Amino acid sequence: MAAPALSRLLADLLPESRGTEGEAPLDLPRDTAQPPRLISAAIIEGHELRARRIVDPPVVGFAAFLDGTQETQVSRYLAGGIPIVVGTVGAVIRDRRNQRMFTWRHLVERRVYAPRAHLSADAWRRLAALTPPPVDTTDGEADEPLAHPLALREAAVHRVQEDRQRAEQALAEEWCRRETRALLIDGGISGTDAVARAVCAVGVVKSHRTLYAQGEALTTILSLARAHRSSVFRVTSPKRTNVASWYLRLRDPRGHEPMWGLVRVEIAEPEGDADVAARADLVSRWILAEAAPLSLPDARWDKMVYGVRDCEVFLRATR
Amino acid sequence: MTDLQLDNSHALGRVVATERKPNTPHEFHFWTALDSPVGIGTIVRVDGAHPVNGQIPRIYGVVVEGFSYTDLQTPLHDVLGHDGTPDGASLAATERAEIRLYTAAVLRQLPEEPLQPVPMGRVYLAGAEDVAIALRMDSYLAEGARTAIPIGVYRAGGTDAPIYLDADFLLGPEAAHLNITGVSGLATKTSAIEWILQSIFTHFPAQKGSVAAVCFNVKGPDLCFLDQPGIVDAADRALYERCGVSPEPFEKVQYFAPFKPDGFSLNTLRSNEALLHNVSPLTWGLREVLQYAEVLLNKDDVDAKADALIDFIRERVVDRDFSDQLLGNKHYLVRSFADLEGWFRDLLSAMENKGNEGWRTHHVATIRKVRNRLSNISTRCSGLVTDDGAVSDLPFGSFQDRTVYVIDVASLEEDAQDLIFARVVTKLREHLEKRDLGVNHVVVFVDELNKYAPSDAQETYVRKMLLDLAERGRYLGLVLFSAQQFRSQVHRRVVGNSGTALYGRMDGDELATPGYAVLSPAVKTKLATLEKGQLMVRHPHFTQPIFVRFPRPAVMRGRDGAEQYPQAVDVDLDAAVLRSLRTLDPALTLGWVRDAIGIREDDEVIRARNATLRERPADVKKYFQSQLRPVVAAQPATRPAGVPVRSAPADDPYAF
Repeated sequence: MAAPALSRLLADLLPESRGTEGEAPLDLPRDTAQPPRLISAAIIEGHELRARRIVDPPVVGFAAFLDGTQETQVSRYLAGGIPIVVGTVGAVIRDRRNQRMFTWRHLVERRVYAPRAHLSADAWRRLAALTPPPVDTTDGEADEPLAHPLALREAAVHRVQEDRQRAEQALAEEWCRRETRALLIDGGISGTDAVARAVCAVGVVKSHRTLYAQGEALTTILSLARAHRSSVFRVTSPKRTNVASWYLRLRDPRGHEPMWGLVRVEIAEPEGDADVAARADLVSRWILAEAAPLSLPDARWDKMVYGVRDCEVFLRATR
Repeated sequence: MTDLQLDNSHALGRVVATERKPNTPHEFHFWTALDSPVGIGTIVRVDGAHPVNGQIPRIYGVVVEGFSYTDLQTPLHDVLGHDGTPDGASLAATERAEIRLYTAAVLRQLPEEPLQPVPMGRVYLAGAEDVAIALRMDSYLAEGARTAIPIGVYRAGGTDAPIYLDADFLLGPEAAHLNITGVSGLATKTSAIEWILQSIFTHFPAQKGSVAAVCFNVKGPDLCFLDQPGIVDAADRALYERCGVSPEPFEKVQYFAPFKPDGFSLNTLRSNEALLHNVSPLTWGLREVLQYAEVLLNKDDVDAKADALIDFIRERVVDRDFSDQLLGNKHYLVRSFADLEGWFRDLLSAMENKGNEGWRTHHVATIRKVRNRLSNISTRCSGLVTDDGAVSDLPFGSFQDRTVYVIDVASLEEDAQDLIFARVVTKLREHLEKRDLGVNHVVVFVDELNKYAPSDAQETYVRKMLLDLAERGRYLGLVLFSAQQFRSQVHRRVVGNSGTALYGRMDGDELATPGYAVLSPAVKTKLATLEKGQLMVRHPHFTQPIFVRFPRPAVMRGRDGAEQYPQAVDVDLDAAVLRSLRTLDPALTLGWVRDAIGIREDDEVIRARNATLRERPADVKKYFQSQLRPVVAAQPATRPAGVPVRSAPADDPYAF
């Protein structure tokens, strides 16, 4: 259902609510969602984190690109500033054939997000008639004291974000199940075990709120020159699958801030005696080959490959 | 070519509209795949998504503009992206997202009411049926009302649809006339006219009567070989077949050409003996010319007084038994320029002898002036105007259906060309008014229209005639097909009255003139680069110009004809007479002609030859000889005995 139609429907379902006009989307830049931090990581290529030059020229290796988007908008307010939010998530894999992009698979989902604990039973029952059903942003904890309206809105944003990640992961899993060609995923790959272990999946992380280095290693990373990468290290997380990762500088950082043109790459952790260095060099060459065309006018063009920008434009055009 | 391009059941585009570029009832925008067969001039169909008054709207349009762009914000971004090395650009893993966006002008909307902006919808390549509907040809292609004349084939992305003109709007009475413009030297204008005449002769509906064409050959051998077969290749044959026209030269063609100043050699490039069977001389006498004196005498020459005298001569002298007291009541029968010259001589002598300054209200100076100007006509138009009054003319009154009458005026002086044009068109109009021409419709083809009906020159008789023809000819069945290089230099009322307009490849300067402001830049570009055999067509039924291909005419090109049938070399009078008379009796020999002519004067021989050609007798020898005055047999003269005038005196000392 289109967003305006869903808003009209909500107005009918909740006549006691108040509509909004021209309110900006709630979504925050992903970079600001968590505090900056430094984490040390185990080096799996050699013994210390070093800068390594990518000697061989860039080569085209990716067959497709995956990205997702979300939009979270308050549609109505109930008494007490309780937001009734409409969230739209989308994800797409764009398949590159003969240098042009075509849609391989596309998902769009629009749902209502509401704090059930702060709604009357009757209001929730009316919302429950929607298809797809509404998402409870309070996990159904009844009779909670009324929270700060901003906290309620942030809770909705997080739920929408989770749905976007789920949509992206669903597409990535499907690709890894059906294809052997390399897929560039915008973001990390460790969220799903099937993807984190797939040889064909390569995650490219543009956000550096968490840096996997400390001390001299951090200096080495931030000093990487263009077409240089760091040694490969392991990224571990209690709820996620371990992956191999390294930093790669896509563009010459002279005259820019230290993280300009810097991305972090994630691939499945090589098994056994696999040559992790050779794999990191090859994947780095693939990514460097995607440095043109530029993703301008996107503000993150220094880190964003054109295939991902194409996904974003596609999702904006189709939501 | 992909299957998609060949199959017009697949959508090839989608209508798009934005606030900055909205659709209107007369224009819409759509995008296509990069490899779609759409181009400028392509006809498309839009199927709307939502019914209006219970009917899904269908909109037909022709592409008039195209745009292509990528998501690149500034060219500098591309430079940065490839480190300033153009070679690197071709190695990019991904090509930027790119669009082919087209603007189409609406040809027709169904339903036609309410007239709304073009809705969003899918865009399809128009098939042959769509083309017929889009151009409103369905009304005159219907059985029973068929007045369709094919003008060429519209081709785009696998669609191959004949384009038809409506005979009611091409040859009257609803609208009429056709004008074609284009740069010279591309064999487009003349070829197109020849092709269209072939098409008209094949498809002109029987219920509308008969049709003939009168073509003025104004330059080179362009129209001199219309009855000879030309080269038609396989591609042209396919076009002929598609249009239902047989790739054959014109079956019935009659040529007319004046003589050269010598009075016995035809002044045409079609003078080869092998082709003379349908070439007739075009000669006029005093009576024919005097009617159109205005054509040859400019306003400076002919003031009101001179005009009055010319009227007097025309009404009271020419072809009348004329006598006057001043002339001693001598009876004059003035039928030729020679007769008129004699009449003037006698009149002026008589006035001088009597010391009269005037005669019948005409001053002697006016009489001298008119004598000078009229006598000069036979010199300026020698070969066309005969001193002896002999007339050889087009067969007014017995024109044949589906026949082309070509008048070769290419080698004539401008005055003579004007005279021929004025008289022929006037005679055609007179006979059509009386319905006794022999056919119901006549197409008059005039090339180099900017010379005969210029937009910025002083008024001439010929221009007035062309204006009259353009404005009133359609009611009579007198239709003007005209051609010129620069349409902007032709009088607006002449081209404006042409219901059908064709455009070949155009000159850039010409396209920059205001008359072409209605065309989009892309259409102008296409016109400036149009290849041979392509035309842009405007017709009253078509709301937008349409591009068509037409086949090369199945007649011999002028240049080829001139090589294959070289012009006859100038010969002496005996040979010229033989050449002419052999078209009537191939058994004649040069020896016989020489014997028949004997020692007679050239004028007498030419007169006899012309009379024979006019009469076309069964026994050519007998008739030709009968036209020559009998020669009195020579008799030996007896020497008379000498008689002295006066006897000399006996004592004359100097006498012998």
